[in-house]
Amino acid sequence: MEACERGNRILLVDDEAAITDQLSAFLARSGFCVAVASDGEAALSQVERFRPHLIVLDVLMPRLDGREALRRLRQADDWTPVILLTQVGSPGERAMALDEGADDYLNKPFEPYELAARIRAVLRRARAGAPSLAGAHRLRSGQLELDRRSRRVSLDGRELPVTARALALLEYMMLHPDEVLCRDRLLDAVWGWDYPAATRAVDSRIAELRRALNDAAEAPRFVETVIGEGYRFIGGVEAEP
Amino acid sequence: MIRRLLPFLPLVLGLALAALWQSGLWPNPVLYVRADAGTLLFLAGLAASSLWWLGRFVGTRATRRCEQALARERTEQVEARRRFLRRLDHELKNPITAIRAGLANVADSSDGPALSGVRVQVDRLAHLSADLRKLADLEAQSLEQEPVNLERLLTELVEMMRERPGAAERRIALALPRAPWPPPPVAGDRDLLFLALHNLADNALKFSLAGDAVEVRAFEDERGAWVTVEVADTGPGIPDEDLPHLGEELYRGSAARGVEGSGLGLALAQAIITRHGGSMSVRSRVGQGTVVAVRLPVSR
Repeated sequence: MEACERGNRILLVDDEAAITDQLSAFLARSGFCVAVASDGEAALSQVERFRPHLIVLDVLMPRLDGREALRRLRQADDWTPVILLTQVGSPGERAMALDEGADDYLNKPFEPYELAARIRAVLRRARAGAPSLAGAHRLRSGQLELDRRSRRVSLDGRELPVTARALALLEYMMLHPDEVLCRDRLLDAVWGWDYPAATRAVDSRIAELRRALNDAAEAPRFVETVIGEGYRFIGGVEAEP
Repeated sequence: MIRRLLPFLPLVLGLALAALWQSGLWPNPVLYVRADAGTLLFLAGLAASSLWWLGRFVGTRATRRCEQALARERTEQVEARRRFLRRLDHELKNPITAIRAGLANVADSSDGPALSGVRVQVDRLAHLSADLRKLADLEAQSLEQEPVNLERLLTELVEMMRERPGAAERRIALALPRAPWPPPPVAGDRDLLFLALHNLADNALKFSLAGDAVEVRAFEDERGAWVTVEVADTGPGIPDEDLPHLGEELYRGSAARGVEGSGLGLALAQAIITRHGGSMSVRSRVGQGTVVAVRLPVSR
């Protein structure tokens, strides 16, 4: 918790000392300046003193859990980027994480390198002055509009028939515009599980989205294929309250 | 308690009335009953038959109640096991996360075969945890109900099987009816159904030997209400004593020792099929092979 001159300040919140010990050392070696809190209450008071650039927040904690801490933070109009560490196995939890204003989430157990990469991506977006999309109820990209509350997508004012999973995929991509999202990450975020050849499942949902959005793979307006890597949402995304 | 005592009520009533009459409070007339042998025999027969039917009725009711209790117990056991697995998963996640971060911390200073061995084992634990999460997810999540084209799904599955290491030494075949029509679509979540059938196909490949045949086939029943997908292999077969435990989480049969896997593949497949309103059954003969049959309702 020593004051550090350089590097982005990261507040790491988890009640497991084994995790905070190892992860804070890892993040420090990755060039971040790390402070640790062991529950939601401690995290909220740390936010005031430490002024972090980003908070890594575990969901299940004693006293004040991560979800409630996040809610209080957002209610106080504090939009410090938050990455939630989810662990209860339910897709509802993942959807809720985004709905409650988390900028990203990662399922435990994760690779620490992946966490560092996510932190950098979220910080990059925040630094570019991009408005936080996390708390938006509606996401708009040109004529494409996604209503996160009513789970509907429309293009040119016409509602599109897409499956729930394709919609969740589009939502995740729109929340991470201009970022290359590899198939494994999309699987983890949207499906919550993976299996051999599941990457094909991602491809077929992307194909479904493209059909619905009338988006050609070779000249895309929205979803671009990054060969050998994954997909990228190339339209600019605006948040609407 | 009252139900237990109820059958004794007539006896108690009879005894009380007998005592009352005998006590001399009321006149106690003597009744003489006369009957011919034919009527007597008829009445005896009637009584015997009634007693027999009564016995049978009571017997079936007792059996049914016993079966219900057993079924309830079984459901409770399954529930308890699932609860336990959820907790196990939960307890695994934090240590795995910590170990991975720890490994990343020491990776620069000392990297050797020992460390990569540890990494492989941690990945194995992470895999187990991921499978446990899938199981828990399945109970909670709502299912997509889209018509799933089985022909396309199974073709993709067999293509994938052929790409697997060791596939070249096995004869892998897909048998689909084409005339007069292909198998009808089933309703459900395509990705989950693919996962279930993939796990079955994976087992067929893992447990069969070089030179064995693996066949994937699908057909509809005569009324067109159900589709059966079968994954069959000419592998070593499953011993009788292993068969009843096949769908259990983390169960590894005697043949599974030394074969890679978490012991959750079949349990997952079973859970997915059940959530789709279908059923799964296994037929196996030692030395001849195994057929896993999945029955799924046709999409309306």
